[in-house]
Amino acid sequence: METTKIQKPKVINIYGLVFQALKLQPKFFVPFILFVILELIALLFIFVTPRQPFISVLGPIVKAFWGEAFLHYPTNFVLLPRLTSLARTVLSVIFGSLLTGATVSMVNEYYNKRQVKANAGLLNGFKKYLNLFTFVLILTILFFGSIKIFYWALAKYFMAGFKTLLFIKPRFWLGPMAIFINILMGLLIQSLFIYTIPAVMIDNIKLLRAMGRSLKLSARYFGQTITLVGLPILVYIPIIILQYKTSFIINRVFPEFVLVIAIFSAIISALVTDILITISTAFLYLKLKEKQ
Amino acid sequence: MKKICLTIILVGLFLLAGCANDQYSVEQQYWYTKKSAEKVFKNPAGSPPAEMEKAVAGFKKFINRYPKNILALDADFKIASLYLVKQEFEKARQHLDSMMGRYNNNPEINSQVLFMKGSSYQMENKWPSALEQYKKIIADFPLTKRGLETPIFIAQYYKNKFEPEKMRAAFDEAIAHYTGLAAKYPDSVAAFKSYTFISSCYSAMKNWPQAVKTLDAMVEKYTGKLKMDAVLMDIALIYKRELKDDVKAKEVLGRLIKEYPKSKFASAAKSFLEKP
Repeated sequence: METTKIQKPKVINIYGLVFQALKLQPKFFVPFILFVILELIALLFIFVTPRQPFISVLGPIVKAFWGEAFLHYPTNFVLLPRLTSLARTVLSVIFGSLLTGATVSMVNEYYNKRQVKANAGLLNGFKKYLNLFTFVLILTILFFGSIKIFYWALAKYFMAGFKTLLFIKPRFWLGPMAIFINILMGLLIQSLFIYTIPAVMIDNIKLLRAMGRSLKLSARYFGQTITLVGLPILVYIPIIILQYKTSFIINRVFPEFVLVIAIFSAIISALVTDILITISTAFLYLKLKEKQ
Repeated sequence: MKKICLTIILVGLFLLAGCANDQYSVEQQYWYTKKSAEKVFKNPAGSPPAEMEKAVAGFKKFINRYPKNILALDADFKIASLYLVKQEFEKARQHLDSMMGRYNNNPEINSQVLFMKGSSYQMENKWPSALEQYKKIIADFPLTKRGLETPIFIAQYYKNKFEPEKMRAAFDEAIAHYTGLAAKYPDSVAAFKSYTFISSCYSAMKNWPQAVKTLDAMVEKYTGKLKMDAVLMDIALIYKRELKDDVKAKEVLGRLIKEYPKSKFASAAKSFLEKP
């Protein structure tokens, strides 16, 4: 797709399209509701892990990887956000990839004024499932890999004897800053490759080329892309912070409140953050394609 | 049909998990019982009597409901602690006495109960009565954790009260007690711990040659059976810091590196040896 000499679309116009589409076609919610259901089922299994009869099957796994303490009340709630995040990652690779592909396909139908069908979107997603699955897997590895490399480099830096980095002490880098580093890293990686699935689903391009195209588009329309990806993430930040404060919540509120936050997190991440990012960037992609 | 059956089974299991009276639900109930007592622990002077009664009743209800559960023991100690923080010493002792009756087969629990009873007298500034309880622990439960720690605890009490004569006498008594234990149970864990405590007693009295002698005896007795790197390090440190004998300190560290090259103390020992 040629991307030169095109007037840059405004973010506000894209959001206008998104909200109109969501109003006119509630079917766009279907893939995300499906994902929320899957996530809540996973959450339910995590929640009942320390209880009979599930402990006999799931207990040994928790014991082997995290320790016996996490099978007891209320310590199990300390581990709950970590396990939920792990489950979300696995579900995103296996099902999220397919559902995102289905949504992009539905957006394409809507944009071209054709009838939007959730079943058809899912079918299109199935057809490209291998590409979608591989892409989300690569993205996940890239995210966790870059986080690991970042902290490894940070540790090396401070072990070399430096007392601060950008006037910030190591305990802040490894403590409160860690939340923001993870968010920023996720935002950057997601922004760079956000047009890969639209390229695969709409233009039928092979995965590696689609990733290359996404990099080019993201670089050219960096401001718009980072805003479309970043704004919905802002909504999710308070929940991320709360999930890092599990011990505080357990002691100051009550342990089960961690579960309530996890449920909210699943709902908001899918039905606010993911839906806005997926649909808005798909619209932007289609707009750019149209204007070429 | 298969899917429906699977769904029914899963839903049934989740419902079962929610209602199950398993260890997890017992822990959950105990957590909330403890939570209701937290206000009294945080502000014992300011909390009204009704709150205290409610907290004690909560723990008693828990004990009656799950008398065999491990958490019932903790609940029992929590009741005694509640009385202690509220300075209701007689009630605390009555409760501890009732515990002695209920857990009379467990020396570890009984020694802990007696220690708490002693502490209640100590909090009331009734040291002779406290000492009576502590001596009872030493006599009746010598091999328990509390039984082993109490002789030194008594001596430390006199040390903190600046009563040197009594302190020395208590340390001497402790050394005699530990020596007797090590002789009576030569191959036990208690014997090993006794040597450590004897050395601690000598160190507390700044009798460094005797402290080293005890540790040396320990090394001779246990080399080949247990890791002695930490003990060798202790000997070297006493030579270096207290006896100012660098030659001996280096000799011991050399032995440490030779016998335990992979020890966590080896690198510190090496860097010390490299110093002129």
